[in-house]
Amino acid sequence: MKLQRLWAVVHKEFRHIVRDWQTLIIVLAMPVALMFLYGYALDVNIKDVPVIVEDPFPSLESAAVIKAIDNSELFKVTGVVRVAVEPHELFRGKGVKAVFRFPYDFAARLRRPLDPPAIQVLIDGSDQNTGTIIRNAVEPFLRQAVLELLGKTVPPVIEVQQTVLYNPQQKSALFFVPGLMAMILMMISALLTALAVTREKELGTMEQLLVTPLSPAVIIVGKLLPYIILSAIDGLLVLGVGETVFGVRVRGSMLLLTGASFIYIFTALALGLLMSTIARKQEHALLMVLPITMLPTMLLSGFIFPLASLPVWLQALSSIVPATYFLQIIRGIILKGVGAQELWKPLAALSGMGLLLMAISIKKFKVRL
Amino acid sequence: MTLTIETHNLTKTFGSFTAVDHINVSVRSGEIFGFLGANGAGKTTAIRMLCGLLEPTSGSGQVAGFDIMKETAKIRGNIGYMSQKFSLYSDMTVLDNMKLYGSLYGLHKAALSARIEELSRFLDLQTLHNRVTGGLPWGWQQRLSLACANLHKPRILFLDEPTGSVDPVSRRNFWDLIQELSSAGTTIFVTTHHMDEAEYCHRLSIMINGKIAAIDTPKALKRRMECSTLHQAFLKLVEGA
Repeated sequence: MKLQRLWAVVHKEFRHIVRDWQTLIIVLAMPVALMFLYGYALDVNIKDVPVIVEDPFPSLESAAVIKAIDNSELFKVTGVVRVAVEPHELFRGKGVKAVFRFPYDFAARLRRPLDPPAIQVLIDGSDQNTGTIIRNAVEPFLRQAVLELLGKTVPPVIEVQQTVLYNPQQKSALFFVPGLMAMILMMISALLTALAVTREKELGTMEQLLVTPLSPAVIIVGKLLPYIILSAIDGLLVLGVGETVFGVRVRGSMLLLTGASFIYIFTALALGLLMSTIARKQEHALLMVLPITMLPTMLLSGFIFPLASLPVWLQALSSIVPATYFLQIIRGIILKGVGAQELWKPLAALSGMGLLLMAISIKKFKVRL
Repeated sequence: MTLTIETHNLTKTFGSFTAVDHINVSVRSGEIFGFLGANGAGKTTAIRMLCGLLEPTSGSGQVAGFDIMKETAKIRGNIGYMSQKFSLYSDMTVLDNMKLYGSLYGLHKAALSARIEELSRFLDLQTLHNRVTGGLPWGWQQRLSLACANLHKPRILFLDEPTGSVDPVSRRNFWDLIQELSSAGTTIFVTTHHMDEAEYCHRLSIMINGKIAAIDTPKALKRRMECSTLHQAFLKLVEGA
């Protein structure tokens, strides 16, 4: 009896979803589109950055270093000038990210070990990522190029052996697949449910549902179930594309990953439901959900910015963002293959958060009757 | 004569504003009870409390024999409710809306089909079964709302301004249906501000600023206010308040 009524609500909700096919297409295509976007745009290996060299007194030595710069993977020399009166002018050239300025006495000072020549490198800091990469690369690169030119080797003081674990090729896919999971599940679960519930309030259909003998809990569960299924489909899409196109394999237990994802979906649904008890119109719901769920999921969860780099007060804020815990869990499962015993803390935090939010939203939903 | 709706000092306040102020109403079984008042007089708030959509601030009441404070779930199974605004699913067809509400009220397959058939004949909805409700003219949407509120054969029908801004012919037709339902034994509790409709009611209550100013039959009201029409009686009461 109760099940039949619950099923009627679920069935109706599915109808709305299917009838609103534009939204459905967005919901299904968006994860895939985002995957490709992140997959190709987030490639941190930049190549052939255009640079200009100022060489006031060309010599065999400066020519050799300029050639080395041009031959490197990172830089491409797009111009050599004799004098740069106003260096800012040079950055107006197409895509120029750095200017290398050689001194007029470069060759002469190379021969005087006690008075080494200085090469000034001006870096375009307006593009922060590229700027940082150039800054980190340029000094060791020039040092090596000049050493090779002089035919010298410096005896090594220490030797550093780097071994990158879990993501040896530093593929960005391993970084964005878990992040996109967190983002997309939050988006579908929180945003779509908040909109769906608010829409019924706005149209007055919620009132009509509430005068039937159905309990509010049955109405909520019936409305949420289809979105749980949609979220699960999107989660599988992200994992599927991640594996087939970007080669991200889940190392740990698929069962644990599924379980954790459902806990996260549950938490996100509760958040969405909570927003919908506050919002009166769909626009309100949208404007609330974006800053309260989507932005923290992107910016404060450790998805894009490492948590350690955040100031203390933002770190505190990040500890109440569900995605923070979900990312710890799924990065652990997908990249390191760790099990439930290592992940019990974030799992417990996420579950607690979900239960608390759901309790609050059901209570608020009842009060609204 | 049994009472199906009864309230004692039913009150609802929103902050410092008293929307419904100690109202006492008793409605007899099978009666068409008109709930009149200007916009903002508290009619909708009162009706929503009786339907269990809103928790009363104080006072008590019974609907269909159940306490409106504690037994709202039982009340909801025994009433039908039609709100001011069309509030069925406009992206679904007429038939699908009826099927949905039928199942929400716990009707099963065969019984549900029979009931849908019966109501469709009564309300002339047969030819519209496969139409999407959003595109229907208002009068037909109202008929469908009436059908959906009636699927489970409720003992009491709450109609909140059912004929809001519809043309006089459709209004007349709609009231014919209401009277038919009433003679079949359904209690009708209806709010309106059309005085010509009020004439159809067996008894009327007139609500002013959250309080009930008068309860009587249309005839007795007119006599008491020394007016020839309900319209005049209503205005006299409001102005006297």
